Amino acid sequence: MSQNRWLATGNFYTTYREEQRTFSTHLDRTIFTLFLVLLFAWPMFFDLGNKYMFVVDNILIAIVAVMGLNLVTGFAGLISIGHAAFVGIGAYTVASVCRTMGTSHELVTHFWPLLIVLSGLMGAIFGGLVGLPAFRLKHLYLAIATLSFQMIFQWVINFMTFFNQGQTISIGRVYWITGKVGRGDHYEFWYYAILVIVILLGFGIRNLLKTKYGRALVAVRDNDRAADAMGMHPGLTKVYAFALAGFFAGVAGALHAYVFRGVGFESFTLHESVSYLAMAIVGGLGTLNGSFWGPVAIRMLDLQVEHLSEAAASYLPQGTNLATASKPLTFGLVIVLFLMFEPRGIANWWRITKSYTKLWPFRY
Amino acid sequence: MTELKISDVTLSFGGLKALSDVDMTIEPGLITSIIGPNGAGKTSMLNCISGFYHPTQGDIFYKDKKLTHASPHQISNMGIARAFQNLELFSGLTVLDNLLLARHQNLKYSFLHAVFFFGKASRVESENRSFVEDVIDFMELEPYRKSLVGNLSYGIQKKVEVARALTLAPDILLLDEPMAGMNIEEKEDIVRFVMDIQKERNITVVLVEHDLGVVMDISDRIYVLDFGEVIGSGTPEEVSQNPKVIEAYIGEE
Repeated sequence: MSQNRWLATGNFYTTYREEQRTFSTHLDRTIFTLFLVLLFAWPMFFDLGNKYMFVVDNILIAIVAVMGLNLVTGFAGLISIGHAAFVGIGAYTVASVCRTMGTSHELVTHFWPLLIVLSGLMGAIFGGLVGLPAFRLKHLYLAIATLSFQMIFQWVINFMTFFNQGQTISIGRVYWITGKVGRGDHYEFWYYAILVIVILLGFGIRNLLKTKYGRALVAVRDNDRAADAMGMHPGLTKVYAFALAGFFAGVAGALHAYVFRGVGFESFTLHESVSYLAMAIVGGLGTLNGSFWGPVAIRMLDLQVEHLSEAAASYLPQGTNLATASKPLTFGLVIVLFLMFEPRGIANWWRITKSYTKLWPFRY
Repeated sequence: MTELKISDVTLSFGGLKALSDVDMTIEPGLITSIIGPNGAGKTSMLNCISGFYHPTQGDIFYKDKKLTHASPHQISNMGIARAFQNLELFSGLTVLDNLLLARHQNLKYSFLHAVFFFGKASRVESENRSFVEDVIDFMELEPYRKSLVGNLSYGIQKKVEVARALTLAPDILLLDEPMAGMNIEEKEDIVRFVMDIQKERNITVVLVEHDLGVVMDISDRIYVLDFGEVIGSGTPEEVSQNPKVIEAYIGEE
């Protein structure tokens, strides 16, 4: 019924159902579709090479993980410093299948989508278990509980022979309709696979946030006493938030295992947990698009710092490892600067840009 | 019939007795007020009913169901809603979302429906929205629908608080000082809403309030608490004649 569905100007809703749409104008939807097409098309015209495709894959995996972390920390307000451990749970689910059934068992190589979902569920189970203290603990105390899970995870991996004591457990190459995915196509293949997963999960979150399952998360963040009076069990809601985050982390872990073609404990340390948290903060806590900006920004920063240090190293005496020193420095600096000047993260810039262009072509 | 019965409720924190042997009956369809000087235990009484505190002794019955040890979310699902004295709103959300949240238990669709947002979830959510719009209309909150609750003025926030309790579609509405800190005009507004809630929506109202003028005007029953004990009860006329009540409020002659 609305008169003009192309621009926000003159776009009126006449039913409540119209207001539920993900894209409020045709223009928004068209731009988004074109952007997706671009994402799928660019590797065909532009060969990035294995080295950089690997970085892109890594960014996408981080996006999956940070989407989960943003749900539990951004939306439900529960700080989780053990997110890398949940990612590890996913990766080690794939690794355990490899250990028990062999590296190139059909489940690993042919039914990998199934295994990815299974890893997600495993992550959700552990997420729920680790979330149990949320019944009693709040704020920083809960954060410490998640930290302890991180420690327990690292300890278990390092000492169990089943997990090769944290040494790399290799994962076989997967098959697609076209046959075995070889060395040359590996990163490009996983780029597409992860991209599809990111899009599906992104729309999933978007939908979830429109319903009671999403609103419940925000309710326990803002005021869990009132949430209780509104008829939801605050403890269970928090456990559910952790399970949800665990699912995303589990999926990210399985993807990590496949892309790296091996699982070793050093990818799931406390440092990684803090990185994920930083990505969520830089991207913008409590926003969906923040989960995309954050990983891109932090991973790109790492890459640029590495390049700059390499360039600078030629002017310095030999043996000074500039990259190792400047990486943590810039990482910390970026977080501090963001916390000081833009606590709402890059997502806020996006919001501002959108509100400026909303009434286009009119100024007011 | 719906009836809330509070029998011999004692609430003590260590040696301090916040409530001692309180007996109350809340009749359906009436406005019952609980008054008393500061620290008399009025809010403690509401906290006991709504499940945030559990009485040390005694029981609370609602429609023959015992809710002495039920938790707040169970009680709100039984049809007893509560508006808080110190605003307990979801300040990061819009007025609309605050009210939508209150419908949590009434929305019946599964998690999978929510993730894919097909058919049922979409339908239930739009029905839900029209229910909420009804409440917004009733409480005259239309101009603030899309504004963040944290940015609204105190008077409006209080109204949102009442509206949110109303969105739970309760049989009994507990209002904890809905008029505190308001000017005359806003007070008149809220009084009108409270009376409308009782008459049009047929909801039993339990009101805790300091403004005796308002209480005497609109209440059908009044309970007077002092130091955790009921010192007087009955219709407004009876209470205002009660020597004990006069003593508690004005002091001995």
